[in-house]
Amino acid sequence: MQDYNNIKVNFDHFIQSLKTTTDDLEFRKKSFNHFLQKGYPVTKDENWKYSPLTKDLKKFTKFDFVKNQSDTLPNEVKELYDHYSIVFVDGSLISSDINETGFSIKKNNSFLKSVKKEGDNPILNLNNAFAETGYLIEIEQGYSVSKPIVIYNYFSKNPHSSFFSFKNFILLNEESKALIFEKNIYLSDREYLITSNTEVFLGKNSELKKYNLNYNNKYSTIFNYIKANLDMLASFECFTFSHDINSCRDELIINLNGKDSFASINALQLQHSNFVHEIKLQINHNEEFTKSSQFVKSVLHENSTAVFQGKIFVDSKAQKTDGYQLSRALLLSDNVKFFSKPELEIYADDVKCSHGSSSGSIDNESIFYLRSRGIDEKSAKQLMINGFLAEVIDKISNKQFRDIFINRLGGI
Amino acid sequence: MIEIKNLKASVEDKEILKGLNLSIGKGEVHAIMGPNGSGKSTLSYALSGKEGYHLEGEVIFNKKNLLELNAEERAQQGVFLAFQYPIEIPGVFTNNFLRTSLNSIRKANGQKELNAVEFLKIVKEKSAELKIDPEMLARPLNVGFSGGEKKRNEILQMSLLEPSFVIMDETDSGLDIDALKIVSNGVNTLRSQDRSFLIITHYQRLLNYIKPDFVHVLSDGKIVKTGDWKLALELENDGYGKFVN
Repeated sequence: MQDYNNIKVNFDHFIQSLKTTTDDLEFRKKSFNHFLQKGYPVTKDENWKYSPLTKDLKKFTKFDFVKNQSDTLPNEVKELYDHYSIVFVDGSLISSDINETGFSIKKNNSFLKSVKKEGDNPILNLNNAFAETGYLIEIEQGYSVSKPIVIYNYFSKNPHSSFFSFKNFILLNEESKALIFEKNIYLSDREYLITSNTEVFLGKNSELKKYNLNYNNKYSTIFNYIKANLDMLASFECFTFSHDINSCRDELIINLNGKDSFASINALQLQHSNFVHEIKLQINHNEEFTKSSQFVKSVLHENSTAVFQGKIFVDSKAQKTDGYQLSRALLLSDNVKFFSKPELEIYADDVKCSHGSSSGSIDNESIFYLRSRGIDEKSAKQLMINGFLAEVIDKISNKQFRDIFINRLGGI
Repeated sequence: MIEIKNLKASVEDKEILKGLNLSIGKGEVHAIMGPNGSGKSTLSYALSGKEGYHLEGEVIFNKKNLLELNAEERAQQGVFLAFQYPIEIPGVFTNNFLRTSLNSIRKANGQKELNAVEFLKIVKEKSAELKIDPEMLARPLNVGFSGGEKKRNEILQMSLLEPSFVIMDETDSGLDIDALKIVSNGVNTLRSQDRSFLIITHYQRLLNYIKPDFVHVLSDGKIVKTGDWKLALELENDGYGKFVN
């Protein structure tokens, strides 16, 4: 049985030091109590059955909160093209630069702006209790942001805290457009817990492209949660590139609330060592003529494990829904594990929904074809693996970012 | 220059090639014809290094026994197999594949690898000769290509890699008359003093366009008859019956 006494002490200290409103305090206390009722998720819970977090969260019996001093973003992680940047170093927002009217980036002090509904996700409750950092991006009606917004979420070699809770908010008002690239960099060899809770609201006919890059996390335990609500004609394109990420759950819930709204969720996970990565997607078709697509590919080397849980839910009034889901995995050693749970839950009778999941090794006929052209076996396999993953990258609608991710894949 | 001596091939105890002997001189074009199941495709795979066969005998090429080399080493030595069914590889772009292939072979032979610009110049020229739309090269390898496009892509690879020993495995299958002409013209322009061909086919039709120096009949894993191109006509008229037990 997990002991939460130390965490309780941590929470009491935390809220005492917090300068905030009574409402916020109440919400945090409520969230924390909800968390305590259930504790960390366990494998018995169907929603967490295959999650690496069930094992790794147990390591966190107390949290240290110490602000780091004077860390800066190293130049080598900075993107070279013209962009707006939001920089977090070890969880603290250190800078954001905007000189464009039409949108704003703020430190998310008003955490209450996020939906207050108490969920039954224990880690979200924990996040709601402790959240003290994050961003808030709002794009004005009819406005298209002229260049990509890059969020650098950089963890240095020695972050002093052991627990980071982000709460972010992205609001695109009617007819607005934005592209956000979130780059998560984990350098520390210490074990720490990072939770991020991002709420996305997409107004009528707005368009958000959100691309995420996660790489090289060897030690920390990560929970990334995004919930997006789409109004009429809104579109949300999400792509996540995860390379050698240990103990991470990327969870995404999309509510297609308006007619003709569309979500395209694409992800690839390329894993080595004994890393475990989980992708959990749920797309709720709550209105008619909504469309969604999920496309996930996993490449597993050595002793790694990957999980894909994807669900398409179609409400009884969501006629003419078009839902698509495909997961494919390449298993490149006898010791890798891949868990796949594709789900459809459909209450309407005039819908088009498909799902598929496959896993296997590299096709020998293809390898022979490449070798017969002078390409050595190792390079042939690499070419096949990159080709396999490039199919997901190809779904990225923005050419500049398609090239960025293809180049990154080529450099691995 | 290619000396196949007593080549035997079996898969899971089933003997398919049963002691095949054949020598192909420099610049010669040999055709191998034979009924279904005679071992034609096995011969092409055994020569090009596909795994999964138990092989005996010798195939001497460039003073080396090919059977001791793996598939990529054979390709680097100048062996090229034009596939009957070129493989579709999603996500691997044709251009990238061609450049990787050409550079692997150049590197193995101590030549300088080509950069993207140098490569593009060459591939443009060669694909124009074969009436290949440059747009096709920007697509994933063979994915969604028509039968004709796949075969033209094989000939393009042949023309880029400049092999000295070409094995063509039923290249005519799945081709309409126009595509057959384009492919045959491609092969004919590649015929040279330094390049030998082994053309494996069911039908004489291809040999109307690519005239062989010798025709062999393969039956039950052995060559049972050898003649000049007129033998192909004879087979077309009389069938394989008289050579097959």
